[in-house]
Formats: sequence, C-alpha cells, structure tokens
Amino acid sequence: MENPILQVKDINVFYDTQHAVDNVSFQIVQGEIFGLLGPNGAGKTSTLSVIEGLLKPTSGTVEVMGHNIHENPSQAKANIGVQLQSTSFQPELTINEIIMLYGGLYGVEIKKSKINELLKEIGITEKASKRFGQLSGGQQQRVSLLIATIHNPELVLLDEPTTGLDPQSRRHLWDRMELLKKNNHSILLTTHSMEEAEAVCDRIAIIDDGKILTINTPEKLIEEYKDDPRVVKVSRGSRVTLEDVFIGLTGREIRN
Amino acid sequence: MNEIKTEASYKIFKCLFRADLAVQWRNRRASLISLFVPVIILISWKSVVIAMGGAFALSSAITIGLVAVGLMGYANNMARDREKGIFERLRVTPASTTIIMTSRIAVQILQMAAMNILVFIVAYFIDNITLSAGGYILSFIISLFCGAVFLSMGQAIVGLISSSATVNSVSRFVYIGLVLIGAFGELGVLGGLLKNIILWSPYGSVKILLLTSMIPSDWGSESWIALIVTILYIIIFTMIGIKWFKWKTN
Repeated sequence: MENPILQVKDINVFYDTQHAVDNVSFQIVQGEIFGLLGPNGAGKTSTLSVIEGLLKPTSGTVEVMGHNIHENPSQAKANIGVQLQSTSFQPELTINEIIMLYGGLYGVEIKKSKINELLKEIGITEKASKRFGQLSGGQQQRVSLLIATIHNPELVLLDEPTTGLDPQSRRHLWDRMELLKKNNHSILLTTHSMEEAEAVCDRIAIIDDGKILTINTPEKLIEEYKDDPRVVKVSRGSRVTLEDVFIGLTGREIRN
Repeated sequence: MNEIKTEASYKIFKCLFRADLAVQWRNRRASLISLFVPVIILISWKSVVIAMGGAFALSSAITIGLVAVGLMGYANNMARDREKGIFERLRVTPASTTIIMTSRIAVQILQMAAMNILVFIVAYFIDNITLSAGGYILSFIISLFCGAVFLSMGQAIVGLISSSATVNSVSRFVYIGLVLIGAFGELGVLGGLLKNIILWSPYGSVKILLLTSMIPSDWGSESWIALIVTILYIIIFTMIGIKWFKWKTN
C-alpha cells in the first residue's frame, strides 16, 4: 500500500495486566473510509485513543501523513479531525464562538461570512448565536463533524458518530462522509451499526480482545466467511450478512 | 499537508484564553461571589480595622478572596470540564496540555487581580485605608504570587479526586475551614497552639506575606520564613496536583 495517510504499526496497550490492544496494525489510504468494528471492550476506543494521541501505547507507532503522533504531536494532530463519541464543547460558548475557537486552534482564520456559509451547509444558520447545549442531538452531531473538518484534515476520526441519531440525521451524516471521501479525505469510523459499516466503509477491520481478527471490504468479508461454521451457526436468514460474520467471529455473548 | 508553525503557540493561547474568559464571564455568578466575599468582609470588619489596623483587615480580605478564586473557582471549573470531556476534545487538537492549562490559570490570575483592585478601592472609599505606593505595588505582586498557593491546592484537589461533585464539596469544606479557622485562629480565639499552627498554614503564611508587603518597612525575618513556607506549599501542592491529575475521569 503506497503512501498511507494513517499507518498503525504493532501497537500494544496494557492496563495493568490486561492486554487491551494486542499488536494492532493497519493502514488507511487517501479517500478511503475504514471501519473499525468490535463489541464493547474489544479495544476500539483504546486503539482510537492511541491514534488521537490521547493514550501512549506500551509499544508500536502511529504515523499520520508520516508524522509520529507521539513524537511530533502538533504536526500529526494538524492533519487529523476528530469527532469524539460524546460531543464535548464548552456549553457556555455559542456555535459562533466554538467555530472561532477550534478554527483558531488549527490556525484557520474564519470570518463571520464564512461561519454563516459553514452553518448553512449543515442547515443551522439561525443557530449561530445559540449555545451548543441548546441544540438537538442531530444538530450537535452536525456541528461536531463541522468542527472535526474545519481545518480540512487529511484524516477524519469518527467515533460512533450516529449513535442516538434519528434515521434522517444518520442519512445526513452518511452523505457528509461520502462528500468527505469524494474530496479525498480519509475516514476512520468506529460503529456498532453493521448497516452503517456496509453502507459507507470501503474496508472493515473486526477487532476483539484487543486483536484484529480480519480486514477486508464488506463484500469480501461476507464472501470469505459465509461458509465458516461459526458464521453459519449464527446466521438468521438464507443470506449471510455482515452482522452474521461479525457475531460469528466475535461470539454471541453480551459484553459490558 | 497542514503544517502548524511553531509561532502558532501564541495564537493558540490567545484563542483558548478568549474562550476561557467568555466561559468565565457567563459563569459570572460564581465569580462574583469570590469577588464580593472579601469586599463584604472588609465592609463588615470596621471594628477590626480600628483595633488591628487597615493593613490587617486588607490582607485578611485579600487572603480570603485568593482562597475563594483558587479553590472554589479553579478546582471546580477544572473538575467540571474534565467530567464533561472538554479537555479530551481540546487535547485532540494541536493545542498542547501546557497551553490549555496556562490559559485556565491565566483567567484565574486575572480574576485574582480584579479582586485585589476591587478590595483596594473598597478599602479606600469605605474604610479610608491607604497604603504607600510601594505598599500597593508590592502587595499586588505578592498577592498574585500567593494566589499560586491556592491554585496549586485546587490543582491537588482535582488531582486526587475525580468526581466533580466531590471536588465541589471538598473545595467548599477546605475553603470554609481555611477561612473560619484562619480568621478566628490568628486572633488567638481558638487557643495558642492553633494560633501557631495557623500562622504557618497556607492561610497564615500568605496572610503574613500580604500584611508585611503592605507596609514594606515591616518586612523582616518572619516575612522571609513565610515566603519560603509559601514556596514550599506551592511546590508540594503542584507536585501532588500534577502527579495524580488525570485528563479524563473514566
């Protein structure tokens, strides 16, 4: 794979004796939407935290556009846009102020007319002077994605972005992801929705117990595992789905 | 590729500081309490002014104001923002943790400066307390330095306690303890032993420094010892606050 935007190489994370991330490696290329799927506690959040530079791995490296996230965090983070699982902006700030703040943190000067243009794009022009806490869940997610991409980053990390959204808001977010892809941005997406993974991801990695079990396109994953006894056993219909593959590989027991 | 230039650190600080100031302004009810408590004390202590002198009352009021800003303001803001994940969101940007922290502390120092000036003005107009020009300048500088004791205490509290509700309770408890025991203890009301303990407590050492800086000719060996004790408190509380501080609660 040539010139990856994100290169994750042999990362390991231990919490005391628990091996939370076990030798995880993968790459994302330009314009690719890459899905990281796994049950609760599989190691998704820890992996993502390492990529975001929030968690230092016990071993292994993460490079964004060739910049090591831990050795050269400013350069690496300048190329990443992040939408965290829980939207977390200062509730006292207005949408205008949040845009100005985060634009400024990335060195992007944003004029008032540009803010209006950006808000128009996500359909909340009239909310510019509202505080973040006054927006609906869907509107907050749209603002959050807008902030994640305000500096036109090469790589966008989306941590379960559609959780709790109604179908309209979810479709809107998928459209935004497709638009980002069309503009050659790469996306790393974590999700529990197999429908979402199938709809938007070019490639998918299934992770469990800290290890990557498999990486491939959704179609090839289904093709590869459709006759696997673990998958056949859990399949509910005549046709094997991505969810069947996921449950077959990660097991049926409910995780906390 | 987006290249972040090294001189952008100042711009990053400016953005954060502006946002932190806006947040502080919108939470001004809490800020006003820390501004007005020392003023109310000063107004209601007319008898203390007459009995112990203007500098004594002024230094007590400023010390109480510094405790309020450092403990009630800083500690609670940090705990709340940590719990809401605001620090997590900021840390995934190119802003370093040092700049994020510096901006937070700068806002509190600004508030301490405002409290200080307000106390000087009220003391002048209500109690006719005046200091020499040197006294005003030195005590103003010393008060900002002493603010670091209570900011570091606040940092130690958010370092040791993760829940924002518990931080709120503990900081109020420590605030009331420091202020009540400090104010009454230094007058000897609570006994000689407690008076000596309070003398070298964070409250007492800050009080000595402020009092003697208001009358620079009174600066002596006790002031130097108070300065050393104050520096030690800052170092110890900062070390505790940094060592155990976590940017997220879970």
